[in-house]
Amino acid sequence: MGGPFEAYSDLDESAERLKAADAGERRVAVMELGHAGDPDAIPLLAGVLADPDAGVRREGARALGEYDGLEAAEAIALALIDADPDVAAAAADSAAELRDPAAADPFIALAGHASASVRAAALRALKELRRGDALKPALEALRDPDPSVRVQAVGVLGFLKREETIPALRIATADADPQIRRAAVSALAFAQSAAATEAIHAALRDEDWMVREVAADTLGNGAAGALVAPALIAALDDAFWQVRLKAARSLGRLRAVNAAPRIAASLVAPQVNLRKEAAALGEIAAASSRPHLEAARDDPDPDVRKTVGWALRQIDRRAAAREA
Amino acid sequence: MPLAATQTSVPVVVDNDKCIADKGCTVCVDVCPLDVLRISEMTGKAYMAYDECWYCMPCACDCPTGAVTVNIPYLLK
Amino acid sequence: MKRSGAISMGMDGLNNAVIPGHATPEQYTKEITIANDGIVNQAAVLKYAQRCYGIIEELDRFGIRFAKTENGDFAVKKVHHLGSYVLPMPNGDTVKKALYRQLRRARLLISNRYMATRLLTGADGRIAGAIAVNTRSAEFLVIRAKTVILCMGAAGRLGLPASGYLFGTYENAANSGDGYAMAYHAGAALANLECFQINPLIKDYNGPACAYVAGPFGAYTANNEGARFIECDYWSGQMMLEFFNELKSGKGPVFLKLNHLHEDTIAEIESILHKVERPSRGEFHAGRGTDYRRDMIEMHISEIGFCSGHSASGVFVDEFARTTVPGLYAAGDMASVPHNYMLGAFTNGAIAGEDAAEQAYGLDFAEIDPVDIARERERVLAPTRREDGIPPNQIEYKTRRLVNDYLQPPKVRRKYELAQARFAEIRDDLENRMLARNAHELLRALEAASILDCADMAAFASLYRQESRWGLYHLRTDYPAKDEANWFCHTLLSKRDGRMTGEKRAVDPYIVPVADDEKALYGKQRLRASA
Ligand SMILES: Cc1cc2nc3c(=O)[nH]c(=O)nc-3n(C[C@H](O)[C@H](O)[C@H](O)COP(=O)(O)OP(=O)(O)OC[C@H]3O[C@@H](n4cnc5c(N)ncnc54)[C@H](O)[C@@H]3O)c2cc1C
Ligand code: SF4
Ligand code: SF4
Repeated sequence: MGGPFEAYSDLDESAERLKAADAGERRVAVMELGHAGDPDAIPLLAGVLADPDAGVRREGARALGEYDGLEAAEAIALALIDADPDVAAAAADSAAELRDPAAADPFIALAGHASASVRAAALRALKELRRGDALKPALEALRDPDPSVRVQAVGVLGFLKREETIPALRIATADADPQIRRAAVSALAFAQSAAATEAIHAALRDEDWMVREVAADTLGNGAAGALVAPALIAALDDAFWQVRLKAARSLGRLRAVNAAPRIAASLVAPQVNLRKEAAALGEIAAASSRPHLEAARDDPDPDVRKTVGWALRQIDRRAAAREA
Repeated sequence: MPLAATQTSVPVVVDNDKCIADKGCTVCVDVCPLDVLRISEMTGKAYMAYDECWYCMPCACDCPTGAVTVNIPYLLK
Repeated sequence: MKRSGAISMGMDGLNNAVIPGHATPEQYTKEITIANDGIVNQAAVLKYAQRCYGIIEELDRFGIRFAKTENGDFAVKKVHHLGSYVLPMPNGDTVKKALYRQLRRARLLISNRYMATRLLTGADGRIAGAIAVNTRSAEFLVIRAKTVILCMGAAGRLGLPASGYLFGTYENAANSGDGYAMAYHAGAALANLECFQINPLIKDYNGPACAYVAGPFGAYTANNEGARFIECDYWSGQMMLEFFNELKSGKGPVFLKLNHLHEDTIAEIESILHKVERPSRGEFHAGRGTDYRRDMIEMHISEIGFCSGHSASGVFVDEFARTTVPGLYAAGDMASVPHNYMLGAFTNGAIAGEDAAEQAYGLDFAEIDPVDIARERERVLAPTRREDGIPPNQIEYKTRRLVNDYLQPPKVRRKYELAQARFAEIRDDLENRMLARNAHELLRALEAASILDCADMAAFASLYRQESRWGLYHLRTDYPAKDEANWFCHTLLSKRDGRMTGEKRAVDPYIVPVADDEKALYGKQRLRASA
C-alpha cells in the first residue's frame, strides 16, 4: 500500500519475526499481528501462547482481543488457563470484548474449570454472548463456593431474561454475599411474575443498605404498582436516606397517589438530595401535595426550589387537563 | 531577533531498562495525539522531545512493557 | 489515529443518548432548543435524536462497553428531572481502541501525521480537495476529492489556561481550530461563534470536574460555605454566569463537593473518574493531597474556546451536515449542531458520510487552479525558509494571552477593539517573521495561524451580535439584555472578497413547538440568580 497510508503489515514477515531469539522483538511482532485486522493472524497468535516468555504470551492474549469469533475465542480460552496471572488477566479482558455468539463454546466448557478466576472470567465472557446453552453452567455456578464466580453467574442469567431463571435468581437474592444479592435483585427486574416481585419485596428488608437501595429502585420499573406501593411506602422510613430516596423516586414513577403525603414529609428532610425528590410529587401530580410544595418554594437549596417549581407546574397541568 | 535555548522540565519519563524501542516498538510515539515523543538516535529508547503534553496518558497505558510514566506538568501540578 | 481526538482515553459516558423508553427525539429537541435560548436548527437536532439510538446499538456491537443493567439493557441515568439522557461507560477507555479495530478489520486506508491546512474549491465554487502537510517530514500533499467532510474538533487552544501552560487546555490540545480556519478560507459560513465555550473545571488541572457524573450519586457544586448555589447542573451559559457571579461575590472559590457522601459511594465515583477520560486526574489530586472523603475539589472557569458541544456555534450545517459550500460537510464539535458531544460526532459523522458518498457518486472532480496550490505551498512553507525570526510558541502565547485579556466575557467593546488591533500586529509577525526549524515546529506554526484566525473570528462575531444571550457565553456590557425583536436569529460569519463579514439568518420555523411556560423554565432561574 505505502504512500501516505498506514501499512497493513505482511503476516509472513511478522510470523518470521516471531522466531527471533529476543523476546522484545517477538513481542513487537505480536503487536503487529494484533493490528493486522486479518483473521489469518489468529492461528499465529494462538501459537504465541506457547512462547517461553510471559510478557510475549501476555501480548498475545491482548492481541487476540482484536479479533472475534470461535477461533479467536478458543485461543483466548487457552490463554485464560495460562499459569502466569498477568497472561490470564489479559485474556480475561480480551474475552469480555467478544460479541459473536459463536465465541461462547470454549467458555461454556471452562465454566466448570478448577480455578475460580478462570470460572469467573469464562462466565463474564458469556454474559454479552447471550447464548441459551449458557443457562445450565450458569445455574450450576450459582452454587459456586467463590462469590466472584456467583456474581458473574447472576449476570449470565440476568442477560438471558428467561422465565426459567427466576427460581434460581430468587435463591440468589438470599445469597450470603451482599454484592450477589444486589445483582440478583436487579437481574429480576425483567420478570413480571408475582414470585419475582415478592423476592424483590423481601430484599427491601435486607440487612445491607445497598441491597435495599437496589430493591427500592427496581420496584419502580414494574407494572405491578398497586402491589408494591405499600412496601415502598414503608421503605420511606428506612434508616438510610439513600434507600428513602430511591423509594420516593420509584413511587413517583409508579404514580402512587396514596404515597404523596408520605413523600411530602421528606420535603423538610435535612438531606438536600432527599428534598430534591419533590420531583416524585410532580410525577404523581396529586392536588393534595400543593400546600407542602408551596411551603418548600423558598428552600435554601436552588436545586430543590427548581424541582418544587417543576412539581407545582405538573400539578397545574394535570388540573388544567382534567378541566379541559 | 536571535534565538535562545530555554530549559524546561518535561512531564513524561521513560524507563530505559524497560523500553523495547530498540526492538522495533514505537507504540507511545504512534499514539501520542500531540506528537511529542520520539525514539532517541543515541540511546535507541523513547523520550519526550517537546514540552507540549496534554497529560492524557495513552503513551503510558499502551506501552507494552509499562516503561512510561506521565507526571503532571510542573506549571499546573 | 489510534488515540487521537478528545476521546483519546475514552469517555465516562454519553451525555445525550436518546434511548427509547427513557426519552423521545421530540422531547430532546425541545430541551436542546430551550437550553440554547431558542437559536437552533431543529431539523438537525431532531435528525440526530432520531438516528443516535441506531448508532449506540452499532457501537455496542463494535464492543464498546456501555453501562448495562443486570438484564443487559442500557442503564440510562437520570441527572435531572426533565429527561434521562446519560448512559455511563464504565469501560469507556475502550472506545478509541474498539473504533480503530473496526477500521483495521475493514482494511480502510488510514493516514497519520498529515495535517490538513486548506481546502481547495473549483471555479464553480464546488469543493475540489484539500491540502495537507506531513508533520514529521514537511512533505506537501494535494488531495483531490468530490466531497470533503471536516471533522477536526473544537478550537481548544484559543484562550490561554490560567496555568500558562499552552497545552494544559480543557479540549484536546491537538485541536487548534484548523477546521474553523479552513472552512472560513473556503468561503463557508460559520454560525454563532460569539457563543463561546467556557467550562467549569478543576482549577489548574483544567479537566472536567464531572459534576454530571458525580451528580446522580449526590455530589454537587458548592461555594466556600459548602452550599449549593447553581440552579442548573447542566452545562450552559446560564450555569456559567451563576458560577461567575459566585466567584465575584466573595463566596468563591467554588468547589465540587463529595465529602458528604457515603464511603462506598465515593469509592465508586473515584473508580469512574480516575480511570477514563482524564485518567491523570487521580495523580493530580494525589499530588496535592486532595481526598474526596475529606476535601472539596477547587474549581474555576476555563479559558474560552469554540465548540458546539456545549454551545450552538460552529461551521453552519443543515440536517445533512452540508455546509454552505457545495460538496463540503462538517460534523462533530466544529459543526453548528448544538450539544452534540461524542454521540453527536458519531451520529452526524454517519449522516455526513452517507450524504457525501451519495453526492460524490454522480460527480466529476472539480478543476483545481494551480495558482491556489502554489499560493498555499508558499504560505505553508514560508516559516521554514527563514533563517531568523519568531518561534511559533511565542506567536501562539501572545495571541492566546491577548484572547484572555480582551475577549474573555463579560465582553467590553473597547477591549474587543484593542484586541483586534493587537491581533493585526501579530498577524504581520506571523506572516512575515515566524520561524520553523523543523517539521514539528512547522506543525505548531500552522496551528498558530489557525489560532489567530479563530481569535479574529471570535472578536468579530462578538461585536456583530448586539445583545446579550446564552448567559456568560455572550454577555456584552454595552447590550446587557436579550433582544428577541432584533436578534432572535443565527449570525453567520464568512469571508467575502477577502474580508470578514457578518449577516443574520432567520431561525427556521420549529418542527417541535416549545410552550411559553417551558421557555420560562430557564428564564425564571435567571431572575432569581440576578436578584
Ligand atoms: C475532557 C473531555 C471530556 C468529555 N467528556 C465527554 C463525555 O463524558 N461524554 C460525551 O458524550 N462527550 C464528552 N466530551 C465531548 C466529546 O469528546 C466530543 O464532543 C467528541 O469527541 C467530538 O468529536 P470530534 O470528532 O468532533 O472531535 P475530536 O474527537 O476532537 O477529533 C478531532 C480530530 O481532528 C484532528 N485534527 C485537528 N486538526 C487537524 C488537522 N489540521 N489535520 C488533521 N487532523 C486534524 C485531531 O487530531 C483529532 O483527532 C468530552 C470532551 C473533553 C475534551
Ligand atoms: S511504548 Fe514503551 S516500549 Fe514502546 S517505545 Fe514507547 S516506551 Fe518504549
Ligand atoms: S500524556 Fe498524552 S500528550 Fe503527553 S506524551 Fe503521553 S500521549 Fe502524548
